[in-house]
Amino acid sequence: MSDTPAIDPEQIKVILATDCGSTTTKAILIQYVDGAYRQTHRGEAPTTVEKPFADVTMGVVNSVTEIGELAGRRLVGDDGRIISPATETEGCDIYISTSSAGGGLQMMVAGVIAEMTAASAKRAALGAGSIVMDVIAANDGRRPHDQIQRIRDLRPDMILISGGTDGGTTDKVVQIAELVAPAKPQPRFGSDYSMPIIYAGNQDARDAVSNVFDEGGFDLQIVDNLRPVLERENLGPARDKIHDIFLEHVMAQAPGYDKLMGWTGAPIMPTPGAVGDILQTVARLQGINVVGVDIGGATTDVFSVFDETFNRTVSANLGMSYSISNVCAEATMPNVLRWVPFDMDERELRNHVKNKMIRPTTIPQTREALMFEQAVAREALRLAYKQHKEFATTLKGVQQQRTVGDTFSQETGGMTIVNNMKLDLLVASGGVLSHAPRMHQTAMMLIDAFEPEGVTMLAKDSIFMMPHLGVLASVLPKAAEQVFDRDCLVYLGTCVCAAGTPKPGKTCFKYELSGSVNESGEIAGGELKLIDMGMDDRATIALTPARGIDLGAGPGKKVEQEVRGGTVGLILDGRGRSLSLPEDRATCQKTVQGWLDSLDVYAQEKEAVAV
Amino acid sequence: MIKAVVLLLAAIAAPMSSLAAVIDLAPPTDVMASDMPNDVGTQMKVIWDLSPDDVTPRGDAPRRVTGYAIFRKVVPTPLGLESTAEAAADASEVGFPANFDFEYVQPVGSVAYGNSEFVDENVEREMTYLYAVIATGPRGSVSPLAQAETPVTAQMEYFNGGKFWFLIITLAISLVIVLFVLIAKRGGTVKVRPIAGLEAVTEAVGRATEMGKPVLFVPGILDINDIQTVAGITVLSNVAKTSAEYDALLKVPTARSLVMTTARETVEAAYLGAGRPDAYNEDNIYYLTDEQFGYTAGVQGVMVREKPAACFYMGAFYAESLILAETANSIGAIQIAGTAMPSQLPFFVAACDYTLIGEEFFAASAYLSNDPEQLGSLKGQDIGKVIAGALLIIGCLTATLATVTPTKVFKVTTLYIKDNILGKDGISLDQEKVTKIDIELEELTADPNPRGGDS
Repeated sequence: MSDTPAIDPEQIKVILATDCGSTTTKAILIQYVDGAYRQTHRGEAPTTVEKPFADVTMGVVNSVTEIGELAGRRLVGDDGRIISPATETEGCDIYISTSSAGGGLQMMVAGVIAEMTAASAKRAALGAGSIVMDVIAANDGRRPHDQIQRIRDLRPDMILISGGTDGGTTDKVVQIAELVAPAKPQPRFGSDYSMPIIYAGNQDARDAVSNVFDEGGFDLQIVDNLRPVLERENLGPARDKIHDIFLEHVMAQAPGYDKLMGWTGAPIMPTPGAVGDILQTVARLQGINVVGVDIGGATTDVFSVFDETFNRTVSANLGMSYSISNVCAEATMPNVLRWVPFDMDERELRNHVKNKMIRPTTIPQTREALMFEQAVAREALRLAYKQHKEFATTLKGVQQQRTVGDTFSQETGGMTIVNNMKLDLLVASGGVLSHAPRMHQTAMMLIDAFEPEGVTMLAKDSIFMMPHLGVLASVLPKAAEQVFDRDCLVYLGTCVCAAGTPKPGKTCFKYELSGSVNESGEIAGGELKLIDMGMDDRATIALTPARGIDLGAGPGKKVEQEVRGGTVGLILDGRGRSLSLPEDRATCQKTVQGWLDSLDVYAQEKEAVAV
Repeated sequence: MIKAVVLLLAAIAAPMSSLAAVIDLAPPTDVMASDMPNDVGTQMKVIWDLSPDDVTPRGDAPRRVTGYAIFRKVVPTPLGLESTAEAAADASEVGFPANFDFEYVQPVGSVAYGNSEFVDENVEREMTYLYAVIATGPRGSVSPLAQAETPVTAQMEYFNGGKFWFLIITLAISLVIVLFVLIAKRGGTVKVRPIAGLEAVTEAVGRATEMGKPVLFVPGILDINDIQTVAGITVLSNVAKTSAEYDALLKVPTARSLVMTTARETVEAAYLGAGRPDAYNEDNIYYLTDEQFGYTAGVQGVMVREKPAACFYMGAFYAESLILAETANSIGAIQIAGTAMPSQLPFFVAACDYTLIGEEFFAASAYLSNDPEQLGSLKGQDIGKVIAGALLIIGCLTATLATVTPTKVFKVTTLYIKDNILGKDGISLDQEKVTKIDIELEELTADPNPRGGDS
């Protein structure tokens, strides 16, 4: 795709990366400094994909120019192109980019059974960084004419069709194709190009499906079946093909992207796909389970990697500005207000919510407004994570192996693979989390919404650098990991959370810290405690849970683990899981106030704040 | 020869002569007859005080009283006696004759010595009887006739007071069922725990659809009059509906013609309900044979030839359970079984993906239909089980405590649960039984180590 000649990864010392968002193009410069890759400078400029500019490279050049000025390095040449390769004082060795401009990648997927091949197709599309507009399946409850109408109404960038195992059903797959072909869906960009169709279903049905789309108006691409047998998914080929089509068709149609593609040293990736890639890379390299969340104004993306299985969900109606009304409706106002430790006028709050929806760039001006907004964020995150857990499941339709011992413990397929006890790292990004006045607030929102169990590290993406690193991971994984660990993430600290139902006031668990911090004590049921541990502090914590309390090794079993500090410190949580707040409003307020005081969450917002 | 015949005749004559009644025993006293309470009018209870001769003899002396014979006489009044006073007045008129011949009147029953109670179970409703008792001894010795003072009429009770607790429990469970049905109908939540086997129906049919293979449903080998087969047909309805929605091919081989007919109608209705009557093909629901292993071999043949991706076994199964389950396992099918045959459950659990165990199988109908009436009924039955379970636990506890500690409270509680709540004594305690407990406890207090010994 690129004109840039292939470069030896070992020779890459200066990396320039941009993320072309809908409103802002963010650029970062990564340099090899003192034997390690570090993010050194960043620049930002408005995205110029829309008219009157209608050329995305203008925004890119502007943001890169800003970096160049900050770094004292000339990055843009006289011809308006990015200088490559790098010399001592100018240029970069490689330029990479992601894009979510113009609404990102929008897809429609189809499969035979909604919970099986259609779900796998959805996973492939989401994993590739797209927004899934609809899922068509033989059992989705809609009549064929409704399905055809729906396909016709949508204007996706591409369609992914799956269905049937290899050697499995052919009829049903052809039926799906026969729904798409007569609907003649029109692509979102460029009226003169054919709608890309990726077929990733039963290989025996390829000819029949090809015949259906022979009439024209479609660009059929055939890849390996994404569910060759029901016991296994093979999402790689479908994801790769989505990326290829994203570049060849979608990006090529967007203003200026053809030029931008000529500049990049690696294929441009959809922003969420790149975030997923960096999380997968980090999880694989460090051997950990990771959950990442990006809460925006309209949507909330949740990414997870558990036992090397990656999942991504987009909660389209959960966000902090355009979708804030929906969050309040879905979570209900009492659930939002339970996180607020004082009485608030509900009418005033509703006005606040609607104002936020129609003026999405406003930020809280008072301590109360901030607390309310963070309460909404907790509920938005909680609901998004719940949706993610429901989607990130084991495969359905798989034969189970049983023994007589399973008589009373039979579990169905499709159980969630998200296990908070196995979660090692929780990464937050998005305005309400990244730009909270105090890191303690970010930490508290994460703990309240995600309810991690056992020992979990908390971090936030400092400047939303994960997309850049996702693309970098495809070229130079080592550099991506180093920058992710040192510059991308701001470690908030570690939280130790007890799972179970501790008795209020009674010992929940005992702890003993040795290392940079030496301290011991016990946490009572319902108690939260913050231990000061700085960024560079490391300690070994020995935990002795009470009977029935689980800290990772099983109920009542001792745990010993290394923990690291952060900008917040070490948080010891004895509130139990699942987290329940008192029903009585006054008691609830008192309890929440106690928790906030324990972590000193709003210490510096006593007076009116301007974030 | 003649001598032998004489001896034989003498041997035969000896017992006959012994039957000749000799009145030399003291009669039993205070004979009282009463209508048996809480029956349909076919029983009478006769009680008496033992004959003074009914004592344990000293040394090797023979027992004088060996038993009691009970006689009865139908009182010749068509409507019986209307009051006890009348009965007392007429007793002499309707009584046994003074020259009552014991030899030619067959007693209605007899009991051994030491017994002072007899229940006559062969009386006719609304007939009036007068009872009499004699003590009997060896060699035909008898006592004079001791007759009851009043005749008694056998009556039917419309309410069995002895089953009062049964009524209370039945009403309570019925009330709970009605309550839950109302709650469910008004949109309330009637929570039923997820049953993995039923949740997996869509998964199994979905697998068959994706793989382009049929779904096989085996409704057991018993006829439609077996409740397990009926429960299986209920599940078949849901499987057929799902198959129709997914457009999967459903095959149902049966071992009984009536089951085939029922299954056909059920599946046809399910396809119609799913809006796919065109997809229904009655030839896919067919009869194989009544013969157990012939049927098994036939189903195995279907499995091996057509390789269904999902197999359901819902009904009554015997030895064929493991044969079928292992065959389907070998062809990689998802298998869901449901049966109430305890001996076959381990085989199904080990070989199948999901197994509905006993009650779960019968709850399937309510679970799958989500019908408020069925759900409410299911919940009410659960409450009944809770009551039964609680009684069991309380009963076991009190019985254990009554044995371990000689406390009246526990003994009386045990007695109440056993004879009143679960037995036939009705709502009130039988004071005689309580008195017996008191006596036992007094004896125990007087002699804390009744078995004696040096230990």
